[in-house]
Amino acid sequence: MSGAVFEPPLRNPKDIFISDQDCRSFMTNVILQARNLRKEFGGLVAVDDVSLDVAPGTVHSIIGPNGAGKTTLFNLLTGQYKPTRGQVFFKGQDITHVALHRRAHLGMGRSFQITNIFPNLTVLENVRLAAQALNRSQFNFFRRADSFKDLVTRAYEVIELVGLRELALSPATVLPHGGKRKLELAILLVADPELLLLDEPTAGMASEQVPELIKTIDTIRQKGNKTVILVEHNMNVVMNISHRITVMNLGKLLAEGSPAEISADKTVQNVYLGGLYGDAIEGTRHE
Amino acid sequence: MPVSWRRTLQSNWFHVLVLLFLVMFPHLVGWITGDSPLGVGGRPRGQSVFWQLIFIELFIFAILAMSYNLMFGFTGVISFGHALFFGMGGYILGLVLEKTGAASEVGLAAGVIIGIVVCGVLGLIIGVVSLRLRGVYFAIFTLAVAEMFAIYIGRWPVTNAEDGFVLSNLPAFLNPARDRLTYYYLVLILMIFTFLFIRRLINSPTGSVLLAIRENESRAQSIGYNTLIFKLLSITLAGMIAAGAGMLQVILTKKVGPEILTVSFTVDPLLMTIIGGVGTFSGPVIGASVLHLSERIFNREFIIGSMSINIGQNWSLILGIAFILVVMVFPQGIVGTWAKWRAGKKTTLE
Repeated sequence: MSGAVFEPPLRNPKDIFISDQDCRSFMTNVILQARNLRKEFGGLVAVDDVSLDVAPGTVHSIIGPNGAGKTTLFNLLTGQYKPTRGQVFFKGQDITHVALHRRAHLGMGRSFQITNIFPNLTVLENVRLAAQALNRSQFNFFRRADSFKDLVTRAYEVIELVGLRELALSPATVLPHGGKRKLELAILLVADPELLLLDEPTAGMASEQVPELIKTIDTIRQKGNKTVILVEHNMNVVMNISHRITVMNLGKLLAEGSPAEISADKTVQNVYLGGLYGDAIEGTRHE
Repeated sequence: MPVSWRRTLQSNWFHVLVLLFLVMFPHLVGWITGDSPLGVGGRPRGQSVFWQLIFIELFIFAILAMSYNLMFGFTGVISFGHALFFGMGGYILGLVLEKTGAASEVGLAAGVIIGIVVCGVLGLIIGVVSLRLRGVYFAIFTLAVAEMFAIYIGRWPVTNAEDGFVLSNLPAFLNPARDRLTYYYLVLILMIFTFLFIRRLINSPTGSVLLAIRENESRAQSIGYNTLIFKLLSITLAGMIAAGAGMLQVILTKKVGPEILTVSFTVDPLLMTIIGGVGTFSGPVIGASVLHLSERIFNREFIIGSMSINIGQNWSLILGIAFILVVMVFPQGIVGTWAKWRAGKKTTLE
């Protein structure tokens, strides 16, 4: 990061007021920033005026009950949806209208809530393709793909890391669910993105596997000095690894702070305990 | 023999056998029936020459089906407008040969190059306009464009509307009515070249992206591929190869008419690809062989005792039933089912 000073354009009078917290995040060099994001689907406002600063090297979680707009917000950050209003900045660059595939080249990697792999290709090919995506060789149609040894080696390294070495030459479709989630992670990691956006990575997993995955995510972040944005339904999952937590409800930003601040927050407790989702906070009370 | 050569030969022994058979075929027929492959009594007659025609048609269909498979089987793009490229290739070659007044050799070279380039550009334009549409919408769009061309050219006075026109300006060496054996080998070589080109392409880094798009386009996008570019590449290459097949067809029949733009030149390669095996290298060739040969063999009157059955009249009906059976029982086609069966056998042995 060349230390470029980033100033978001002033959109409405509200922006003129900059809180202490905003000043801090400007100085610590924000890696991803959302500015007054709004997304409407017909008459429904799914995300309403949400702003977000993510500091580099941290785990920033977005939580909220069902229908809170977390996934819509996630899709706005990854570019799957275009916002009705507002902007998204990555390392100071306005990426609101940057095409999906360009974002991968900028250093953003995303996972999907549902398993999203290339089912009839081998595990190795799944990972090799992701490595090749950021390489010039994709426009070579005379040499054999597996003759680009560095890409194959790199793919094997990551496959080893997530523990799929024995299954490297099997079609991805034969993997068990947990194996597919691991492959998903390998596809994400092989491109070595600076920012990982994970959409409910624990979805559909047996609860005893969840701590292991959370630990893996944290190890990856620490080793590679990466930033992680984590969208979760289950509050319990994010409490231990997050540096900051954003809570959403009904499309709006409800609260933001450290895990301790969030678990002490009265309005957050009301949303989680008062609504249908009392179970979501249960785990935290035992700790 | 170097080791790499031996390995290539070992893994391709079946292809090499088929190739040897096809090279020998006119002579084999000639040897069995006693009719020379060059014709009988100085004229292109006899069993060998007759079977050469059937196999030339088969090779042209195989090239067309392979180009369709590049798009449909390897990239996952379903188009119902492939006849457009086939027909336009034939028309452009015919127009350059007959309407420009160029010498026959120059006209042939120019017609081939212009035809292939124009069809590539046509594919590019259709792709840019419509590839953002998904699945069935794209298919319907391509069908509409192809039909539009077919209807317009069927009424165009320059090409004699529905009658079409005859190719009379072909170079002397390219006259399938006189010297069919030369044309047989020419088309065979072009078919092999197409096969090798597509196999090389699909095994390359670019080809691996095409497969990724077929498997899961949104994922391919999110790991950083501009999938539109690769889909355009696929449709453009497929269009250019189909244009080449159309040119071979008009040289064979020495006639250009709106029938080469009809939807049957989309449906036939589609059926051939599905019956042979979608997304396999040899599937389209095998599908073309099975369909074309069975049509030629069964498309006639059978006399059993006092009863005569004319299958030819009901050929489309039989084809339809065969197609439904294949889709329901062997959706992976002949080659796909065979590969699956062999893989299954291997794993049970281990």
